[in-house]
Amino acid sequence: MAHILVVDDDEQIRMMVTKMLERDGHKITIAEDGHVGLRLFQAEPPDLVIADIIMPTLEGIEMIKTMKQLRSDIPIVAVSGGARHIFFEDTLCLAQQAGAVATLSKPFTRVELTAALLTALSD
Amino acid sequence: MNTTEESYGKLLQQVVFAPDADTREVYLSEAFELGRSSLMEETRPPDELVAIHHNAILRLAKAHPDMKLSDIAELLTLPLIEVSMSYGMSFREHLEEKYQTLLEKRLQESHKLEAVGTLAAGIAHEFNNLLCSMIGFSELAFEELVDGVPAKDSVQQVLIAGLQARDLVARMLQLARKDSALPMESLDMVPEIQSAIELVEIREKLFDISFRPGISQAFITARPGQIQQIIMNLCINAADAMEHRGAMVITLESTTAEECQIEMGNSAFCLTVSDQGTGISPEVQEQIFNPFFTTKEP
Repeated sequence: MAHILVVDDDEQIRMMVTKMLERDGHKITIAEDGHVGLRLFQAEPPDLVIADIIMPTLEGIEMIKTMKQLRSDIPIVAVSGGARHIFFEDTLCLAQQAGAVATLSKPFTRVELTAALLTALSD
Repeated sequence: MNTTEESYGKLLQQVVFAPDADTREVYLSEAFELGRSSLMEETRPPDELVAIHHNAILRLAKAHPDMKLSDIAELLTLPLIEVSMSYGMSFREHLEEKYQTLLEKRLQESHKLEAVGTLAAGIAHEFNNLLCSMIGFSELAFEELVDGVPAKDSVQQVLIAGLQARDLVARMLQLARKDSALPMESLDMVPEIQSAIELVEIREKLFDISFRPGISQAFITARPGQIQQIIMNLCINAADAMEHRGAMVITLESTTAEECQIEMGNSAFCLTVSDQGTGISPEVQEQIFNPFFTTKEP
């Protein structure tokens, strides 16, 4: 099982993802924004990162880029809320260019989360 | 003979017998003015004015056999030419005005659509976050509950509603995008129509929909799901209008572009959907392509 860092500014979603992933036997670290995410990324190096792209303090794309610079082999799943950027497929595309190996659009189901995780871990 | 005809004839006579060129000019412009006003203000058809003009010339020729008909006609063509020209110009102005109004109406509609799209995009982000928790926690609760517990069914209903809401938000967002996110692809309309009917039949148990394809395959370039959506909307609207009882028939035939008066490609398909309802009134027909128009009560 993997150590997963979950970065999302929405508390309910952090709780939900944590519960889902813990139920599957993973170890979870949570961060409420990009800065905390980067700090925890270095303090407790995870096997995988699930990152929301649109967050108030540090945009997810920037965070993903920095994480990839620090550790090029880290698998990252980018999550999009769908609509602050109208063309959210483009945003997910940007995340992939920044180094995310899999993407998820909110609202996602448990099966979709698991599938994205498997893609990222097997990459 | 009515008064316009009489005065017009008299003016033409005065043109012919005018003592000098200046006086002739005055009568000519009076004749033009009379012709113009009878066309524009009394809205007489132009061919009626032409007939009045010709009759006046014939009467003049008859009354003065010493003069040649061609000479009279030549003297008098000017007012008729000018009237036709001014009629043509005003007709063009009228057309331009009509076109402008139509264009403005279209523009207003598209602005309205854009506004709704932007609004949808704004709330969709927040909405998707909420739905994500609702769907996710329902799934977790569903897993936690043992089979046979009544609450399990209820949780499942919450989950289904959450997934439906997700589709709704996705559809609203489609409005916000100038191009739909889904690319166009080649797809067969026959299975698309069949699965749309199957979906409607789940909801409309007393409504009989028969599909009679005249061909086995009908490949078109479209966005997946949208043909299904069209068929479903038409069927559901028909069912609603007929109080959920009755029948409708859907046919699909091969035809030509020429027959359908479309300017793309050669082959075409004709899809018809007919029901036993009361039909759509002409006033409503005018509005059916307005995305915000409905006759259903909120």
